[in-house]
Amino acid sequence: MNRINWFGFIFISPVLIMVLLFFLTPVVMTAFFSFTNMSTSTGIKGGEYLINQETIKEIKKYNIQKDTIEKLENAGYSINEEGLKIISEKYKESLSNEIKSLYFGDKFTNRKDLERALKKLKKNKIKKTRDRKEIAEIFKESIINERFVSKSIFEENLIKLEINQNDREVIIKESYTGWSWTNNNFKLIYNLPSSYKFAFYTLIYVSFTLTFNVVFGLFLAISTFYLPSKTASTFRTIWFLPRILPPVLYVLMWKWFTWDTGFISQMSTYFGASPKNWMMDSPIHAWTVIVLINGFVGASFGMILFSSAIKAIPSSMLYASEVDGANRWQQIWNIIIPQLRWPIMFTTAYQTLSLLTSFEYILLATNGGPGRSTEVWALAAYHTALQNYAGNLQYGLGATYALVLVIIGIIASLFYLKFFNFKDLVTKPRIEG
Amino acid sequence: MNNYYRSWPITLLLTLISLPLLIMFIFQIIDNFTNPAPGGIWPSSFTLEHWRFLWETPKTGESYIWTVTFNTFIFASTTSIMVTSLSMTSGYVLSRLDIPGRKIFLAGLIMLHAFPTISLIVAIFLTLQIMGLYNTLLGVILVKSALELPFGVWIMKGFYDTVPWEIEMAGIQDGASRFTVWRKLILPQVQPGIAALLIFSFLSGWSEFVLPLVLAPSSDVQVLSTYLSALILDDNKFDFNLFKSVGTFYAIPVIIIYIVFQKKLMNIYGGGTKG
Repeated sequence: MNRINWFGFIFISPVLIMVLLFFLTPVVMTAFFSFTNMSTSTGIKGGEYLINQETIKEIKKYNIQKDTIEKLENAGYSINEEGLKIISEKYKESLSNEIKSLYFGDKFTNRKDLERALKKLKKNKIKKTRDRKEIAEIFKESIINERFVSKSIFEENLIKLEINQNDREVIIKESYTGWSWTNNNFKLIYNLPSSYKFAFYTLIYVSFTLTFNVVFGLFLAISTFYLPSKTASTFRTIWFLPRILPPVLYVLMWKWFTWDTGFISQMSTYFGASPKNWMMDSPIHAWTVIVLINGFVGASFGMILFSSAIKAIPSSMLYASEVDGANRWQQIWNIIIPQLRWPIMFTTAYQTLSLLTSFEYILLATNGGPGRSTEVWALAAYHTALQNYAGNLQYGLGATYALVLVIIGIIASLFYLKFFNFKDLVTKPRIEG
Repeated sequence: MNNYYRSWPITLLLTLISLPLLIMFIFQIIDNFTNPAPGGIWPSSFTLEHWRFLWETPKTGESYIWTVTFNTFIFASTTSIMVTSLSMTSGYVLSRLDIPGRKIFLAGLIMLHAFPTISLIVAIFLTLQIMGLYNTLLGVILVKSALELPFGVWIMKGFYDTVPWEIEMAGIQDGASRFTVWRKLILPQVQPGIAALLIFSFLSGWSEFVLPLVLAPSSDVQVLSTYLSALILDDNKFDFNLFKSVGTFYAIPVIIIYIVFQKKLMNIYGGGTKG
């Protein structure tokens, strides 16, 4: 590799690393997560094996051997500190010490073995069989509520308990606390009626907002074109402000405008209507406000693009049309609009794809309500995986919702690649050193 | 254009359509300094009490506005500097150097530029948790910068493309290294682009809401956007005038930057921008 390549490589590598880590990895990870059942309860870092009362209830539902559960409860006997402490409190300290010196750390698979061992004590002989039984019980261990970090260790312990293979598999499956691979998310989305609703809402959201954006952008661009430049720039600033203001503040202003203590309610009381929340009163209200909130921001996108396209029209064309006696309507319809065909197509395509995945303004304004009547697809992904009132966040299912959006994004990007004249971009550099 | 038609009907129509925005803007400012008459919205008395959040010490569990402002500033400025400096270097490489894989990088750049980043939020959330960067300002900064980078590189490449080749060739002829040529000859030529990108990515970071909300929800790394939205969601103190004052406070830098750099910003918004 020559020097120039090294220079280029060093210059571009930070960007490559950043983009790889936080841009491309998430794309792959979305697909990866969508095939898991990750949620708050399974955690995201793999899990442990744990048998608790819940697990036992579940295990009992399977066709397992009668004594399996009993075996789980009686996992053998081991001489440990805890047991010895109880002995010294309940019986004598010397007894505890003798057991410790002889058997500390030893394990006994059944009670008979331990009782036999206890018979061998020299200094503190335990005469009664019942006492020996009681003492042995103190050292009893159970596999229940014990955590195992790996499957092999867990299975080894189950084998020691003489649980047969079929039951072992059931127990291992039921006691796993972590996430596992599954394609249930896709089935679930396919079968749930709500996902069709989300798709339908997204369709409403995109089509209405887009129409508003393009029509309004066009109207603003054309009307300000015919105005004196000072008036025109005032209006452009007014319409540009929503785009530049932080979304949280912009939506706050809309809340003030539409809520029951706000402007519209106040105005309507002058006409004898009682104040109500014009944003959340009904799904129709909510949708109207959402389209307006997004539209007032989105219109400026078209406005800027269209304005600069109109400025690029040779003024001789416009003068010529006036000389020929065209009125403004004819001028707009026959000269300006045809010139704007390309920017209009671009805006429509670009905004369709970015609206499909956007949810920020809806999240801030209605948060999907009233009910779930404004829950678009992207917001559903957000609510499922990242924030809901139930508290159990379904990362896997949420990622599956997001995967649909990622695929749309990839299609969008491919479209973009086609849209730009790629050959122009890859013209070979002229200096080679 | 000519003055052959009268413009007042259009002005009137535009004013009517812009009325909701105008009312919102005007009341946004008025309500910062006034109290409405009981049960109404019209201002009746002057007051500064809506700004008390600036000097009152917050109750336990609430964040202090200046800490939050500081966080926001760190977040926005670090993101902005990172995006700009990295775009400065790799934009040049993509515009001028024939490195192996250039075509793939360029195609990737255009694709990422159009990619709707918000669809990645679930995976980014989980990735940050695995990496241990969840709930840190550093994590949000890295993610925000990475997501802004394709746009930044795109813009900078555009600016480098307009610099005449002759400048560079002259430098090389005189025996300067490629690095020196870039630093001494090319960078001064793309200064408007650097300034525009700095401002744009600062504003974008300052306004960002979803990323801090999802990736850094704890109160010690709160930024102004999440602070304000938490305030609005808090049912215990519902006070629109307070919300609006916090909002105005939050928007002051944005407005100042907008007024000062209006022309530069219009350039970048007009060029290949995000919708």
